[in-house]
Amino acid sequence: MGIQEQYRSEAAGLLSSGAVKLVIGFGEGSTVERRRPVFVRTPAETERLVLDGGCVANLSTYLLTEGLLSDGKSVAVFLKPDGIRSINILAAEAQLNPEQVVIFGFDIEEGQVRALEGRKASDFAPVIGVAKAAGLSAELQKEAELLDQISAAERFEYWKDQFSKCIKCYACRQVCPMCYCRRCIVDVNQPQWVNTSSHTLGNFEWNIVRAFHLAGRCVACGGCDRSCPVNIPLRLINHRMAKEVLDAFDYYAGECAEQKPVLATFRQDDPETFIL
Amino acid sequence: MTRILPKNRLDDCIAAWRSAGFSVLAPVRRSDLSRFEEVERSEDMALDLVLTERTIKDHFFPQTEPLIKYSIKKHDIDTQEMVPPERKRVFFGVRPCDASGLAIDDPLFGWDYRDEYWFKRRDNAVIVTIACTTSDDFCMCSSVNLSPDSTKGSDVMLRPLQNGSGWQVEALSDRGNALLGPISSILKEGSDATASTASVPVRFDVDKVMAWLADPASFESHFWKEISVRCIGCGSCTFLCPTCHCFDIQDEGDTYTGIRRKNWDSCSFPMFTMHTSGHNPRNTQSTRWRQRIMHKFNYYRGKFGVNSCSGCGRCTRQCPVDMGITETLQAITNLTK
Ligand code: SF4
Ligand code: SF4
Ligand code: SF4
Ligand code: SF4
Repeated sequence: MGIQEQYRSEAAGLLSSGAVKLVIGFGEGSTVERRRPVFVRTPAETERLVLDGGCVANLSTYLLTEGLLSDGKSVAVFLKPDGIRSINILAAEAQLNPEQVVIFGFDIEEGQVRALEGRKASDFAPVIGVAKAAGLSAELQKEAELLDQISAAERFEYWKDQFSKCIKCYACRQVCPMCYCRRCIVDVNQPQWVNTSSHTLGNFEWNIVRAFHLAGRCVACGGCDRSCPVNIPLRLINHRMAKEVLDAFDYYAGECAEQKPVLATFRQDDPETFIL
Repeated sequence: MTRILPKNRLDDCIAAWRSAGFSVLAPVRRSDLSRFEEVERSEDMALDLVLTERTIKDHFFPQTEPLIKYSIKKHDIDTQEMVPPERKRVFFGVRPCDASGLAIDDPLFGWDYRDEYWFKRRDNAVIVTIACTTSDDFCMCSSVNLSPDSTKGSDVMLRPLQNGSGWQVEALSDRGNALLGPISSILKEGSDATASTASVPVRFDVDKVMAWLADPASFESHFWKEISVRCIGCGSCTFLCPTCHCFDIQDEGDTYTGIRRKNWDSCSFPMFTMHTSGHNPRNTQSTRWRQRIMHKFNYYRGKFGVNSCSGCGRCTRQCPVDMGITETLQAITNLTK
């Protein structure tokens, strides 16, 4: 039995025993290549679940749908290691109770799906340990280094050009599991702290605010980057932030549910290289 | 015999229009994004795209636009309108859906008063449309009573020749006719066959959709919840749409000086309908999605006699969670089978 069939039948079992009320997984999309989130509530519907190399989205975002977990019941969700790290962060930030989340873990290597052992977020500690040891994405590092090689002025021009494309659709925020604020700072309008205009200045404000709020929290799932309708390489911003916290504080976001948020804690031996 | 614009004379054509005082805008691909921008040479044009990612709407109703400058001194308030300058522009290589989008929005911007910010640009623009010979899985013009060679909203229609050497030219309006003046020596007579237009399947039954939406019982249907459950409520389907036209007015500056701006807004956002009291009449994504569909295929038609969708398919093409309007309209069609 392939992993897709195995997970389908386990999901059906969880639903029929009442262990979970809902399974959030992937289903067929509007084209042959596309996969989309599906929400399965009955054992029969588990037939719709698909698991293959196209299932790249981080579905943990949906767990924060208002009221979903407030009845104390459990929900099952299909997650890659990046999504499991999101669960750890959300637990550490008191946004959900990880006991209510049953995980169908998987990973994709060269287009092939591999099952990950475990059901609770804490079961996957070894997988996340391996991911941390492997380091940040070498591919992204290469792309980021191209930017490091140019002068600061050229880099500024590069981002100005990229941000000038932003239309403030907030798809990057909406798709992100870490962007869970019920009222994002850019939507606080009494007074309007951040301009809503998507001129270049406004777009800088927005993207910088978001980058700061995601530093040490982003799990590099790539959701924002894939969602941006104007193709701004948001992955490079995320990568840079992740590299900063890793190099400075040996911090890898979402290692476990007990991990303290990097920007809300300090250690006596934290480097103070930026303090004169 | 019809008039032909030879492809190898495109640069002369651009030069002729430019010396007649026009800016020429065409599809370009720059910084990993396809959109309409001013061009000086034909080699910068990306005419082989099915559709640009951004619409030409951006050039008539920009994402952020200054309306007035204000300054307040003691008891004096000084305001200065910032109506855009009159600038003659040719939009070359527009697709029929985007051209239609402009025509769909015209009545809205001219309804209770004439929006000068829209019409200053509209009245000075000439839309040169190229009929589509290719399409993708998301194009749906044929489902909304348009087609890959519909002329709605266009001033000049170009139909690609089968042999790829140029386009058959047809002027559709006075403005279109006038635009052909400066290039009359470039155009030649010919009888070359035109290429067949893209075949875009009809994806839903728009009459059934309209009938179902008009039924008052549909408003509270459970259908809206089912169809919208994975929508994450971003604004990208509305912002990339050639007909979506909602905006918000914002003052930027301080108490004494500043600029009042018109910024795109989206019915997908909870803030769109949030009252000062904190009450929100559309407080779930399903009610917001319903509004989007109702507005396009029911309310807009009621007011202006036309649906507010030109079938470009962008809302489905780029939706981060593979939603978009097509599937909803297909589902409604099936509901009423
Ligand atoms: S910022 Fe982007 S890559 Fe990082 S967790 Fe959010 S959606 Fe994923
Ligand atoms: S998804 Fe892209 S265009 Fe939309 S707000 Fe984010 S950066 Fe801007
Ligand atoms: S349908 Fe898609 S693009 Fe539109 S608001 Fe929902 S998630 Fe965003
Ligand atoms: S609703 Fe969708 S298909 Fe229709 S015009 Fe707008 S973006 Fe295009």
